[in-house]
Amino acid sequence: MIVTVTLSPAFDHLLFFPGISLGKLNRAISTLRMPGGKGINLASSLAVMGEEVVTTGFLGGQGSRMFEEALRKIGVTTSFTYIDQEIRTDFYIIEEKENRQSLLIEEGASIELRYLNSFKANFERLLPAAKLVEIGGSLPKGTTPDFIKELILYANEKKVKVVLNLRESILKECLDSASLFIVCPDLRETCCVFGEDLRNSASRPKAAQKLLNKGAEIVILKYGELGYFVAKKDETWEGEVEIEGSNVIMLGVRDGLLAGFIHNYMKTNKIGEALKFGLGAALSTSRSKMNYLNSKKQAEELCLMANVRKIA
Amino acid sequence: MKKVKDFITRDLTSVTGDTSLREVAELLSLRELIGIPVVNQENEVMGWISETDIIASIFPEKVKIENPDVIYLMNLSHVVKKLTQVGQAMVKDYMIKSVSCVKEDTPASDVVELMLHKDFKRVPVVRNKRLVGVVDRSSLSRILLEKGSID
Repeated sequence: MIVTVTLSPAFDHLLFFPGISLGKLNRAISTLRMPGGKGINLASSLAVMGEEVVTTGFLGGQGSRMFEEALRKIGVTTSFTYIDQEIRTDFYIIEEKENRQSLLIEEGASIELRYLNSFKANFERLLPAAKLVEIGGSLPKGTTPDFIKELILYANEKKVKVVLNLRESILKECLDSASLFIVCPDLRETCCVFGEDLRNSASRPKAAQKLLNKGAEIVILKYGELGYFVAKKDETWEGEVEIEGSNVIMLGVRDGLLAGFIHNYMKTNKIGEALKFGLGAALSTSRSKMNYLNSKKQAEELCLMANVRKIA
Repeated sequence: MKKVKDFITRDLTSVTGDTSLREVAELLSLRELIGIPVVNQENEVMGWISETDIIASIFPEKVKIENPDVIYLMNLSHVVKKLTQVGQAMVKDYMIKSVSCVKEDTPASDVVELMLHKDFKRVPVVRNKRLVGVVDRSSLSRILLEKGSID
């Protein structure tokens, strides 16, 4: 069983327009609303691939029931801690004629100490049956990186593999003392990590080495829209795949890559194969209207389009 | 033949024996549930706590309602005292310990029998004793209505 943690989940609300006129009335031609958040997207993709996955985090308010039901429908087991506040919504404005996408993010709820304690107790109970825990996304108000450190510590104590998919500022606080299986920095808002610009191919091994030195077993770095550098202690790989067409919604695509990588690597133990399949899963997600891949079969077919090579 | 895995709600919402009744009451209210499984640190099902158990813990004695106003006044201080005590009380002291669980491959007909004969509304589903979800009357009704049969 795989456990994914999303401390600040949100509804992803997609609004499709031909174009937007700011300051005027705009009517959406279609809308989509689905559960979202890094760990949520990952759980959804893993479930579509047939993995047994439990997702946890904080939910609250009237929308939560719909949120959970949508996840269960695709095979995700839910184990959320409920708070007395409403879950947030992230709005994606898609202007089809302009081929432009804008993201509007609501501020998340502030989590009281009693709910944090309840979450920790619940998280600990999930560990005995877990083989891997993924922690991703942003930190809600009321929490600090120390909270993540505690979760990692619990998982390390139970010998459960840990995958971190977090921003550099949070990652920095969680490295060194912990044993980590995969570190995949959240690079949505930057192309630099640990002072290295990943657009420069010579910088990628340096950035990866810094993370490996801090206790990561595998490092996954994004350097292009769908270009990834993967490093282990004794081997490094690089691969990319081209996204075809316009108006491609990138929602959940990077989570699809990580899900595909995890799913394949847990079976094959081969970095190159896992990266190839991950790229196929990411491409399948980019072709889906949802924030998870269309199907495992499609990921298997599309991964043949990926260009993956061993660097060292 | 339909089995539990065909209509299970894969939700692991649960509490432990050390959870206070106040927390359980809030959880049931937030989740709009009537009862939830009680588990140990390994997520193994140890019991069941419902809103009925909580209410019964506040009003353990049967009250004759011949004159509700008088009874209300007579029992007010008692109820307030009891509410304070109960809020701090732990689940393990009020939960039903002899809980009936089913497995994912349990036939739907067995669940129907359990729900009708024992008047259960929700039943925990376990795998190797560990909670993996619940089945409830509404899911069972839905599958009966959709498929027309449990077989």
